Amino acid sequence: MGYTLVICEKPDAARRVASALSDGTSKSALVEGTSVYSFTLNGEEFVVCAAQGHVYGISDPIDERTVYPVFDVEWYPSNLVDDDSVGAGRRVSAIKKLSSGATRLVNACDFDAEGETIGHNLLRYACGGREADSLRAKFSTLTEEDLKRAFDSLEPEPNQGLARAGRARHSIDFVWGVNMSRALSQAVLGSGIRYRTVSIGRVQGPTLRFLADREREIREFVPTPYWKISGVFDVNGKKVAAAYAQEKIRTSAAAKRIREDCLGEGAVVASVKRRMVQVGPPPPFDIGELQKEVYRIFGISPSRTLQIAERLYLGALISYPRTGSQKLPPSLNLRGIVAGISKFQEYSRIADEILRSGAKPVQGPKSDPAHPAIHPTGEKPRHPLGRFESSIFDLVVRRFLAAFGASARRELVDVTIMVGSHKFVASGGRTVFQGWMDHYGRYAGYRDKEILQISEGDRLLTSSVDAEEKFELKPNRYNPGSLLEKMEREEIGTKATRADIIATLVDRGYVSGENMEVSELGFVVIDVMERFAPTIVGTGLTRKIEEKLEVVEDAGSGEAMILRETIRTIADQLSVLGAEEDALGKEIGSALEMTTAKQFVLGRCPVCKSGELRLITSRATGKRFAGCSNYPSACRASSPLPQKGTIKVLKACDDCSWPVISVTGRGRPWRLCINQDCPGRKK
Amino acid sequence: MKCLICGRDAAGELCRHHVEAKEKLQAAYPRWVEAYGEMGWAEYLDNVKRNVQTGQWAKETAEFLQGD
Repeated sequence: MGYTLVICEKPDAARRVASALSDGTSKSALVEGTSVYSFTLNGEEFVVCAAQGHVYGISDPIDERTVYPVFDVEWYPSNLVDDDSVGAGRRVSAIKKLSSGATRLVNACDFDAEGETIGHNLLRYACGGREADSLRAKFSTLTEEDLKRAFDSLEPEPNQGLARAGRARHSIDFVWGVNMSRALSQAVLGSGIRYRTVSIGRVQGPTLRFLADREREIREFVPTPYWKISGVFDVNGKKVAAAYAQEKIRTSAAAKRIREDCLGEGAVVASVKRRMVQVGPPPPFDIGELQKEVYRIFGISPSRTLQIAERLYLGALISYPRTGSQKLPPSLNLRGIVAGISKFQEYSRIADEILRSGAKPVQGPKSDPAHPAIHPTGEKPRHPLGRFESSIFDLVVRRFLAAFGASARRELVDVTIMVGSHKFVASGGRTVFQGWMDHYGRYAGYRDKEILQISEGDRLLTSSVDAEEKFELKPNRYNPGSLLEKMEREEIGTKATRADIIATLVDRGYVSGENMEVSELGFVVIDVMERFAPTIVGTGLTRKIEEKLEVVEDAGSGEAMILRETIRTIADQLSVLGAEEDALGKEIGSALEMTTAKQFVLGRCPVCKSGELRLITSRATGKRFAGCSNYPSACRASSPLPQKGTIKVLKACDDCSWPVISVTGRGRPWRLCINQDCPGRKK
Repeated sequence: MKCLICGRDAAGELCRHHVEAKEKLQAAYPRWVEAYGEMGWAEYLDNVKRNVQTGQWAKETAEFLQGD
């Protein structure tokens, strides 16, 4: 007798599915070195196995980095096309072996374009072309309740539209990336520099352009002066600070005149306007909002946030995080989730209040047909959570609870003070009813500013007036959170890929550090692309492709046409780049040398004063350290360095003159003097 | 031809970045003169060069122009 083979996307998901469906009685075994779980349910045999994310990847049959253009691409087991996917072959073999004895196949991968693509590829290539006659299990959390419900109502066929769009997106991105990268890398090689991968992906190009445009603005910025006038007024012995109504006074003479006009003069309160405003609760999290909020509060990068959120999902603590929805539909058993949360000591007061009041959550504007907004499951962690996991979990729970809160009420006061014809304004505000802010706790971010006890017609004394010279500020650089927001606004990339694209820009050396400063290489790549192949780094084409792929998701067809159109565009752009290969190679090559040199020099050697301290990676141990360029003949200065994170030199140490560096890793960057004997360390 | 400030390829004596920075410096000068009532070009460049808000390319260009 055959069995039902359930294919999950990740090993942790497979373990949870098996445990939930079998009420913890499943037996595990190894097939091709991978764990599989078997059990009987209602007299039927089940075997649950897992992929490891994408176990099939795209490549071209030639696979030779000097050859381009390549438009003929195929799917292969990932271990054949990617050195980092060594386990994929075993997973494919196991699923192939297990599928031969299966009478029914269930795709239980995550329900989105990526999950559908993973499941489709396995059913098609490993299970002998059974993608059309398999069943689909759809769930948004890995809780026992949700999984049982999903398997009680298996859908008769997988979502062909999602799978087709997902596969097409991978093909387009591969064809785009491999051809552009090979064209640029070959141009660099032709200029006499050793081979270096220079890539420009479909979403990567426009994203780098956002950063480069902003960086240009910053580096070319010339500040202009203005004066800010502020006054302090005496009212019944109390001081009231107010700002001049015209925020910026453009000339020194005008500022001086205003100050002289007001000093020592009497003032009168012309108006006091008090008003109540309602501040509604924030909507539940979709993935983009979660990533931005986590960056704002904890400084954790969007890609790291996604990884942590996925771990919380695999632990059945939160719902599927790669969602574009900000809605919590009633079908979710919201009351049950709140009841679960009420068992956590830190949330019990708020959760009990919600249960008592029967409040309904606010819904955000964004929706996603596949999954609801990110929400807690109400289950308690079985193991202690790490610091970042715990922080993000707390934020998700509080945001969920905040959605049930009433609007907060704030009292705002605006006071106008006249000194002759000169107008000053003072304002204050305080929260008079907390509502959702109480639920969201310290994340709400509203501060009270003292409200003035003052009335219209009150007479004041002008005790001081200052005219402060100021300068216009240069624009801020993007940070990972604001860049993600820009990508969303410009509709490039997908909710699942944006964070990785930002991380890739750092890996490629196009931007560095926490503040996303564009390197010389990043500038030059954008410069040459803007001149020779502007379509590649513009937002228009990539946005249009996304729109067309969304149509494929709904219609279930049309992807071949999009691929053909993209290939035509790429071929056109490649011919332009090919004609300019020498110029391209020279420019990018020299930028590469400049960037590489900058990356590896930490500063002048503080010991011999003539050499450079360089970042060196030991051939023997693979560890990095700082060493003098005069080693070993004239200087033996060296120092260990942190092994993880991006290093950026900040300045010479005030205590010992060795470099002070910042290290950007998973959390906020930290700084240190690299000299182990620095006197500053002993302070 | 190489940029006299940074050594990048250039059509004239300055590369594209430093040409644009020079244009920004020239455009901002009248606003500084208006703001302070009176200010010579050299004094303006000196002020801009020392201002923490000035961008790197604008600073380099101001320094270059001072040497002219």
